[in-house]
Amino acid sequence: MIITALIIAISVITLFAVLGLVLVYMERKVAAFMQIRLGPMRVGPWGIAQTLADTVKLISKEDIIPNGADKFLFNLAPLMVTVIATLALAPLPFSDKWIIWDSNVGVFYVAAISSLTVISILTGGWASNNKYSLIGAMRSGAQIVSYELSVGLSLVAMVLLSGSLSFSDIVMTQQDAWWIFKGHLPAWIAFMVFIIASTAELNRNPFDLPEAESELTAGFHTEYSGMKFALFMLSEYINMFIVSAVAATLFLGGWMPLHFGQDNFFNHIMDYIPPLVWFAGKVFFIIFLIMWFRWTFPRLRIDQLLTLEWKYLLPISLINVLAAAWITVTGWHF
Amino acid sequence: MKAILFYIFSVLILACGIFTVTSRKIYRAAIFLLLTVVSVAALYFLMEYTFLGVVQLVIYAGGIVVLILFAVLLTHDSGSLLPPLGVKRTVATFALTGTGLTVFLYTILGRKVEPGSGEFNEPSVKMIGGQLLDLYNFGFVLPFEAISILLLAAMVGCIVLAMKFSKTMN
Amino acid sequence: MGTESLLVLFFAGLFFAGAALIVSALIHPTSKNPQKKEPYECGIQTIGTSKIQFKIGYYLFALIFLLFDVELIFLYPWAVAIKDFGVIAFIEMFIFLVILLLGLVYAWKKGALKWV
Repeated sequence: MIITALIIAISVITLFAVLGLVLVYMERKVAAFMQIRLGPMRVGPWGIAQTLADTVKLISKEDIIPNGADKFLFNLAPLMVTVIATLALAPLPFSDKWIIWDSNVGVFYVAAISSLTVISILTGGWASNNKYSLIGAMRSGAQIVSYELSVGLSLVAMVLLSGSLSFSDIVMTQQDAWWIFKGHLPAWIAFMVFIIASTAELNRNPFDLPEAESELTAGFHTEYSGMKFALFMLSEYINMFIVSAVAATLFLGGWMPLHFGQDNFFNHIMDYIPPLVWFAGKVFFIIFLIMWFRWTFPRLRIDQLLTLEWKYLLPISLINVLAAAWITVTGWHF
Repeated sequence: MKAILFYIFSVLILACGIFTVTSRKIYRAAIFLLLTVVSVAALYFLMEYTFLGVVQLVIYAGGIVVLILFAVLLTHDSGSLLPPLGVKRTVATFALTGTGLTVFLYTILGRKVEPGSGEFNEPSVKMIGGQLLDLYNFGFVLPFEAISILLLAAMVGCIVLAMKFSKTMN
Repeated sequence: MGTESLLVLFFAGLFFAGAALIVSALIHPTSKNPQKKEPYECGIQTIGTSKIQFKIGYYLFALIFLLFDVELIFLYPWAVAIKDFGVIAFIEMFIFLVILLLGLVYAWKKGALKWV
């Protein structure tokens, strides 16, 4: 019991550290190659130790709490955002055996926990006693809250098709084919809406108004420095991982290898690749997609942002839920 | 183990509830309310009633508390301290909460509550959904549909009020 | 593991963040400087309070969000149970969703979703 708890704790902390290092490096390299640059090259071969050096730098940076800041809330916000990101990892199936909490309400739980991130962002922005921070936090609040609805509705569409809220059950329903292949139009629409809305929930380009550096310096974490800033950055990347893991599990089969139909030669060959590799491959593919957006689309204005959600994505995903329900009832999916 | 956790969470709920009421910083009060709400959710999780726990998180922590935080940011100069309670208000508050507490304790202690026997089985989400949709076997279709009308009424109401308010403000 | 894993994760996250902050607090330099702790506004002195007041439009979005959030909670059990009930369940939810879509249409027509 205690040993299992320790193993979970240690592996989660390791995952945090490794993801932080890998994703920041990946972000910089992807950015560089998109712009025909080389990116970080100095520290280690191909600059792979660059993020490690950055971490050391961030740890040794001074921690500044501005005048007039609410110290308690200012310190609470980075702790809160990290804890929320950790809690959201619980029901994700990393492979057929690796799942921390095989919950029967997994999908709903992840949606609920990730909706709490907005509170820590609002708190951090408000406690900083800075106009940029407050404006950034408020924008982020309105944005996350709005796009959460589309994320929830696209999750419901997938729950309809697979008939379960548990991640491991959902993976098992994709034994004959992933939902993106057998779910017809509703699955594709849900996938696109999910990716767009989660990018907005993550405050990433093209929805990065909360930290639009040309207008708001750094948005809600303008006043944060050193390790507290690092924790905000880290949990942003962890949240990106969580969103991609959810998308990979619901739409691309999670750890399930690429299967078509029942028990044929092709499926057996695919089974030789271990589940963890499949899972990691799909997750990093979606993370790459989200990073790709950043160098493709220009930033939206706030009215365009809210119009996109309330007048396009929300009605589309509401109708999509009905379409998915109709397909489930009539059994049109394979 | 479970009993200890139960008491820890109960103390957390009570302490954060008291902090919510006594804090003179309006934003901190909202954060303590969040902690109260999350501790209640933790109690549900402790009882393995995960669906209710998640609903608690979605509605209260992710919905109501966020709404309250938005309301705090709407207030003029949310950074300043609230005025301290006068003697009259303090006395009135204690009298009211005291009365409420007595009534509750009287009602609860007056009844003999048998401890539940047997295993507690969490109603699965499927069962809840079935109850909501069932037309024949004591289902709750009518209340379920009535909820949508209630939500519609709430939405129309808040839009009317907010639009009126923003018109008078400009 | 069961729900107790949430407690484990909670403490793991707290430990991770706390350890990072404590290690950083032990080794980072501190230099006192009256200007350093001013609110950062790109070099210009802050005017007035930083706790500025926001317009009501923000609050309206939060209100509408809350109503749709409540609706979402009813969608999850429905989505899980629909296979057992077939077309009846579809019609029931169709009515439910259309009534809520009316609310969205009302908000749209009234201009509540407009950002001015």
